[in-house]
Amino acid sequence: MKEYFLLQYKMTNRKFVKFGIPIVIGYILLLFGFIWASEYLFSKTTVLAKYLYLLLGLFSVSKLSNRGRNDFLKSYFKEYNKLRIIENCIVIFPFVAYFLYKGILLFIPVIIILAILMTLVKFNRAFNYTIPTPFSKYPFEFSVGFRKTFYIFPIAYYVAYESIIVGNFNLGLFSILLIYAVMLSYYSYVENEYYVWSYKLSAKDFLIRKIKTGVYYSVLLSAPVVFALGVSFYKELELILSFLLISICFLVTIILAKYSAYPNKMNLSQGVLIALGVLVPPIFIGIIPYFYLESIKRLKNILHD
Amino acid sequence: MIKIENLYKYYGKKEVLKDINISFEKGKIYGVVGENGSGKTTLFRCIAGLEKHKGEISSDIEKLKNSLGLLFTEPYFFSKITGKEYIQLLSNARGVKLANIEEKNIFDLPLNEYASSYSTGMKKKLGLLAVLLQENDCYIFDEPFNGVDIQSNIIVTEIIHKLKELGKTVIMSSHIFSTLSDTCDEIYMLDKGELVKRVLKKDFDELEKEMKLVTIGNKIEMLNLK
Repeated sequence: MKEYFLLQYKMTNRKFVKFGIPIVIGYILLLFGFIWASEYLFSKTTVLAKYLYLLLGLFSVSKLSNRGRNDFLKSYFKEYNKLRIIENCIVIFPFVAYFLYKGILLFIPVIIILAILMTLVKFNRAFNYTIPTPFSKYPFEFSVGFRKTFYIFPIAYYVAYESIIVGNFNLGLFSILLIYAVMLSYYSYVENEYYVWSYKLSAKDFLIRKIKTGVYYSVLLSAPVVFALGVSFYKELELILSFLLISICFLVTIILAKYSAYPNKMNLSQGVLIALGVLVPPIFIGIIPYFYLESIKRLKNILHD
Repeated sequence: MIKIENLYKYYGKKEVLKDINISFEKGKIYGVVGENGSGKTTLFRCIAGLEKHKGEISSDIEKLKNSLGLLFTEPYFFSKITGKEYIQLLSNARGVKLANIEEKNIFDLPLNEYASSYSTGMKKKLGLLAVLLQENDCYIFDEPFNGVDIQSNIIVTEIIHKLKELGKTVIMSSHIFSTLSDTCDEIYMLDKGELVKRVLKKDFDELEKEMKLVTIGNKIEMLNLK
């Protein structure tokens, strides 16, 4: 069992190295990133934060409940149950620590018990039910991504509804942020070269199509929230639309950043530029053309442009 | 026509393809045979332009890639994409508008289920169907019969004959000799990245006998089966 956890540790280290980050820096960034995201969540959603945080914790643990993975572990490790409990407790630990820091003591035993109970859950093929998606016409990012994250949208819409009920505008903005954060994750997956090679398009047209599809579908998913907030907080309409525009810019940046590294995953330099864009949005004016030109260079080889 | 001249391919220092010279003509079916690792898939990837190489690959088609249907030995599928969406994706990529995908489902595939949950043979059939519906001029099929049931085998063979009738160029590999002898006009033999033989249809029986002799040799006796 000790070897298993050592292996997990080594695999995590390799991911940092592959991303171009020194291992120690990687862990520090991960820690500060987690603290920042937690603080941000609690500062924006005062009422629902602890519930959302609990759900996020359980969501992280659920990733370990894949049936194939568990069948493999069960066949190799005698102490399978112990291993799974330790594994889930490690994943849930940062959430427990933050609950402790926030003094939300009641949620600590709840999240621990639920995390341990999650070791009994295995997502099997029955869960493989084909989830309907409105994005079938232009696969794959949104059709695949929506199926993986569909449950986030009712939560985001509920958060928006709650923001209107309690008159908390920031909470409404958070729901838009949540929707876009989920949609950005659709572009984290690097598809096999075959799926780019197949396109009978120039590099430029390929990128335009990807961006058009991404923007259209993202507006479609965020429209109910934007519309509801626009009506309820009409004095803040300008701010809502600016927030939407920045989110769209960010989506475009992520699409271009992905193809600027293609067929590899995004590396540290791209990550730093994106992070700069988040901190200082006007930087997008420089970042977007840069990523665009880099993407064209990468795609020309594959598309024989 | 696809013309390959003095094609070399290296992975690092390892020579994977060595001085390949072949012409593939319109309306003909070509087989490529060779042991595992002989360079068949690499050759196909070079033709498709998925691998950098030394030498010339030219075609009378303006941009070969855009008219080439490529079926890999193990087609890759996203985890949550249905068969229908996969076909849609590949058709969209080529700008082909498909009106009714279900009507064209000749293999009776469960198109509304996730492609990743299909069996090996079903995945192969889906990959083949998607590539055929792209309306290409040339096709490369890497092991099209691999894992496919006997009924579908018959259909695939007939499809290949039909493609020939339509004047398409088909290049394929297979480890089942009969599937090649049934369909091909010519067979090329690769050995350790070198093109060692070109065999015309009239000599296929001869080639099969020779392959058996060379491949099997006295290996069965070495097992000393009792």
